[in-house]
Amino acid sequence: MKSKNRLPFYLAFKYVQRGRKWTLLLTVFLVAVAFVNLLFISSLFNGIIKGTNEQIINTMTGNIYIAPKEGEEFIDNKTEAVNILRSVEGVAGVSAQFQLPARLEYNKISGNWQVLAINPDDEAQVTNISEKINAGHYLDESDEDGIILGEQISGGDGVEQNAFSFKGAEVGEKVNLIFNNQSQEFTIRGIFKTKFINADGRAYVTQKALEKMLPEIDDKTSTILVKIQNNQDEDAIISDIRDENINGNIYTWREVAGLMKSVSESFSSINIIMTFVGILIAAATIFIVIYVDIINKRKQIGILRAIGIRPYIIVFSYVILSAIYSVVGVILGTILFFAALVPYFIAYPFQIPIVDVSLILDSGDYVARAEMVMWVSVLSGLIPAVVVTRTKMIDAILGK
Amino acid sequence: MITGRNGSGKSTLLHQLALLDEYDSGEITIHDQKTSPLSERKRMELRLRELGYIFQEYALIGELSTLENVMLPAMMLGSNKEAKAKALELLEKVDLKDKYRRLPSELSGGEQQRVAIARSLINNPKIIFADEPTANLDTDSSKKVLETFKSLNEKESITVIMVTHEPDELAYASRQIKLADGRIV
Repeated sequence: MKSKNRLPFYLAFKYVQRGRKWTLLLTVFLVAVAFVNLLFISSLFNGIIKGTNEQIINTMTGNIYIAPKEGEEFIDNKTEAVNILRSVEGVAGVSAQFQLPARLEYNKISGNWQVLAINPDDEAQVTNISEKINAGHYLDESDEDGIILGEQISGGDGVEQNAFSFKGAEVGEKVNLIFNNQSQEFTIRGIFKTKFINADGRAYVTQKALEKMLPEIDDKTSTILVKIQNNQDEDAIISDIRDENINGNIYTWREVAGLMKSVSESFSSINIIMTFVGILIAAATIFIVIYVDIINKRKQIGILRAIGIRPYIIVFSYVILSAIYSVVGVILGTILFFAALVPYFIAYPFQIPIVDVSLILDSGDYVARAEMVMWVSVLSGLIPAVVVTRTKMIDAILGK
Repeated sequence: MITGRNGSGKSTLLHQLALLDEYDSGEITIHDQKTSPLSERKRMELRLRELGYIFQEYALIGELSTLENVMLPAMMLGSNKEAKAKALELLEKVDLKDKYRRLPSELSGGEQQRVAIARSLINNPKIIFADEPTANLDTDSSKKVLETFKSLNEKESITVIMVTHEPDELAYASRQIKLADGRIV
């Protein structure tokens, strides 16, 4: 390569090697901060959205939710339906839930909460309630008078809906389940806390307990939840299930997420707006910092032109300098993000009454934001360098 | 040498002659070549190959060492190796070879101006333009710079066109052009 062709790289390297260290550090730091800000906004909202969706699936709906057909109160032939669903390829677990329109009573406090009768082992294959037991233990299949309560029902200090709860019911204490004017006493076996306020406002009893209370219910159920194996295509499995002629309406979890669907969609919209604003702020910051740095070198650029250095070489040297700022800034930003912010949010998650949010960064988002920072940096170097190389040479030299 | 009061147009004339500034009327001819029809690229080529510049405030690149400052214009025309060898030769001529690694900020004003002279010579120019090159220098440093110019003119037949305020420096001139209000008087 001719010396002339190497000259832009040579000049850029010298600017970095012997330029003002504070200017270099400050510029790189600001690029890094702008990049971290972009990553943070995106990953925080990704964390909220992904966390919310996972909470809905893992605590309330499964991936696929089967409800009675219009005009029917129950899904008939529950056992057969469950067995058919289990045989569909890609299905990880199936749980039938019977929703009891019941009232719970404890120490003269009573309220209407959703009480579900389940097969505990089947339920554990679909939802993660069994893993979220905060006190006591999960239900046993043969338990006929045990109940587990969500934290929003048992109540206690720090519980969001303590005012409407049992205000501190504990494991081993008794609650009455009032159903069809019958009252049955249950012992609290466990209290669970999923951190999802909707799921924590539910109570579970066993199928055995239900059969004892309502022997006539026979082989009926209110809903069937289906959990699919990781990385399986939800739509393909739904299509397979539809082919099996299950006596119920088949929905994806998104279709039954209700209010949470709006919440999740709102977060997605906020994410787009915040990312756009973040990009504008990052672009403006990077542009101003690099622009000022290069405009301050207009005299030097004028001298280079005067001694015969071609403008394209001068411009290219500053583009390379800006690219160096951006690459080092992106590397520094990445280190700051993964070495400081991510561990911090794992240790101290951002708490919302749906899920504990940690930062989730999609590799596509990372690459897109890194590219954006690099393009903005390169443009921030290119524009002022072109402007200065096009001004009257003598004005540039004399700093006019 | 071009002399005259402040505001008489000395520097403007020098900048125009050196093709650093544009002019509205008249013609500047260098080696029988009219410069007004030349494109910016041709003017740049002419500046690079035929002309050398020395500014009042040295105008060295702060991030480059003495050697690198001198060799920079030559890197536009040849290899690094050739540029380096020529730059070292010129630094020896201006008595700065032992300081070739120093940055401009580590040199005195007189030394920086001698580096600028070495840089102006790197592509074997026919004409050197110097805008008050001794204005910021002490007497000894000024004398060294002027002796260098005299030597370049006498031994290497390089034309030196210099703007000065100092009457003492006219002793080095073979021709004096005095300006007043933009006109030669």
